[in-house]
Amino acid sequence: MSEMITLAVPSKGRLKEQFDTFLGKAGIALKQTAGARGYRATVEGHPGIDVMLLSSSEIAASIAGGDVHLGVTGEDLIREAVPELEGRVTLLKPLGFGFADVVVAVPRSWIDVSTMADLDDICAAYAVRYKKRLRIATKYAQLTRSFFAHAGISDYRIVPSAGATEGAPTAGTAEAIVDITTSGATLKANGLKILDDGVILKSQAQLAMSLGADWNGERRAIAKAFLKPLGVEISE
Amino acid sequence: MSAFPTYGPAEIDALNTVADAVLGVFKSHGYTRYEPAVLQPAHLFVDRSGEEIRRSTYELTDPTGQELCLRPDLTIPTCKYQVESGAPYPARLCYHGLAFRHQPGAGQFWQAGAELLGHTDRASGDAEMMGLAAEAVRAGGVKDFSVLIGDLGLFHTLVDALEVPAGWRGRLKRHVWRTGYFEKLLARMVSGETNEAERTVDALAGLKLMELKPTIERLIDNEGDAPLGGRSREEIVERLMLQASEDTAPRLDPDVAALIAAFLKVSGNGEAALEEIRSLTKPVAAKMVKPLAAMAERLHALKANNIPLDRVRYVAHFGRNLEYYTGFVFEFWTRAGEVAGGGRYDTLLESLGAPRGTTAIGCALRTERLIAARAEA
Repeated sequence: MSEMITLAVPSKGRLKEQFDTFLGKAGIALKQTAGARGYRATVEGHPGIDVMLLSSSEIAASIAGGDVHLGVTGEDLIREAVPELEGRVTLLKPLGFGFADVVVAVPRSWIDVSTMADLDDICAAYAVRYKKRLRIATKYAQLTRSFFAHAGISDYRIVPSAGATEGAPTAGTAEAIVDITTSGATLKANGLKILDDGVILKSQAQLAMSLGADWNGERRAIAKAFLKPLGVEISE
Repeated sequence: MSAFPTYGPAEIDALNTVADAVLGVFKSHGYTRYEPAVLQPAHLFVDRSGEEIRRSTYELTDPTGQELCLRPDLTIPTCKYQVESGAPYPARLCYHGLAFRHQPGAGQFWQAGAELLGHTDRASGDAEMMGLAAEAVRAGGVKDFSVLIGDLGLFHTLVDALEVPAGWRGRLKRHVWRTGYFEKLLARMVSGETNEAERTVDALAGLKLMELKPTIERLIDNEGDAPLGGRSREEIVERLMLQASEDTAPRLDPDVAALIAAFLKVSGNGEAALEEIRSLTKPVAAKMVKPLAAMAERLHALKANNIPLDRVRYVAHFGRNLEYYTGFVFEFWTRAGEVAGGGRYDTLLESLGAPRGTTAIGCALRTERLIAARAEA
């Protein structure tokens, strides 16, 4: 059997539609494989590419683990799954859609807090006053840890959040949050505000290459041929 | 060393020999051995050492969803045991066992340690712990080592004594051990570019003291049903009142910044370094008498333990990079690296439920490093 590479793309939603449009502009179309219950597809004109339709977070994990050769998903998810990209993942092309910011947000009633330095003061005071650490709810534990370390904040702890992170301060399960936002409207509706210097990452959808995947010369050639019309050059 | 070491008969013998010798020293000074569980609740460490410790801690979730970790140190569980047992103070406890940290090489290492808890006379506690560590290191077969000591308590006293905007004292104390960042922080404070909550404080500018509190409360109420996020209104009011009572644009006096920077650069032979600090801090000499006397006493204690003072280096900015240390710290070094370290953590026991002000000082020896240092000698 001839060589194959795997490309992981979002299985549904806006991200999938926008990626299809993006491919369409380069004259490329994905074709769903019959009988594969919508989890598999092929790329017309590129028989060496096996397309897997996965959820965005599964795609990030698959890129991180080297289970797929190429993948399309949010940069936020990739950076969360792989804190040090160097040597593990190459971001080949920002795709110009799926824009969202990963931000630090605190209750709006904290009128004395507008910067990370303020938050640092608050965290330290909280630890002294309540003998416990201020809680940050997030599903971005890695991004939060490195951003907070960079800002010199250590008196806090992360509470993993499965969903509806923005509700955590109201629910009383955390004091502040790190979450993704596009317009800030959801944060506002939950009585939260973004810190002035609290943007951790300006994210968008990325076409990414997993360096840990099983590559050889022939597979690189398949990838190269697919990527070239998309404006991406990789070495042989 | 292998990332997953298997200890053979020779290594086991060496480990046992050193451990027995070290534990023998602890025992002869009245320290009782305990063995805390390897598997511990993760929050026990995160609540005390901060989120940062998670980067080097092995965490796992048990089948019921409880977050556990392999103990990254034995100090916290040993102190917790003392608090929960209700045993009287002062208490002397010791341990020998594996600690687990994500680090280059193996993720586990052997540690022998001692804790002196609730001993009210700090000076004699400092002397006892340094003496104990020195004796234990020697019993472990390492006779030649140098000593590094520091006391961020001295720095804290200095910051409180100097003219520093009140809201910034905590920042200087918290970030002092972060080289690079700290210098930038000082520079920003001198130039006045700190912009914390400026918009709020601007809104409060020019208000009379009696108008201040109701205005702040109204500003909070304006946010409607926004959550308070675990803080009380009083906390927010207090912090803003403090900021508003200062200059609208607080700045750090460049001379004060220069003194702080010069103080933190002091490093060298124990007695000479102490003299240097004495002359540097002349402008606030009265406040510095007590902590400087404590440092002088520690140097005497080292001399009394047959550690020549030319092997003792005092470094003003040296504070061990673990959040629960509160001031005085020491490390014993050989060519094989750090073989022992310790210091004071006077707030740890209170955070575990002990009465306020329960003191704690301890030391930990790296068993494998002692063996390596012995081989090099």
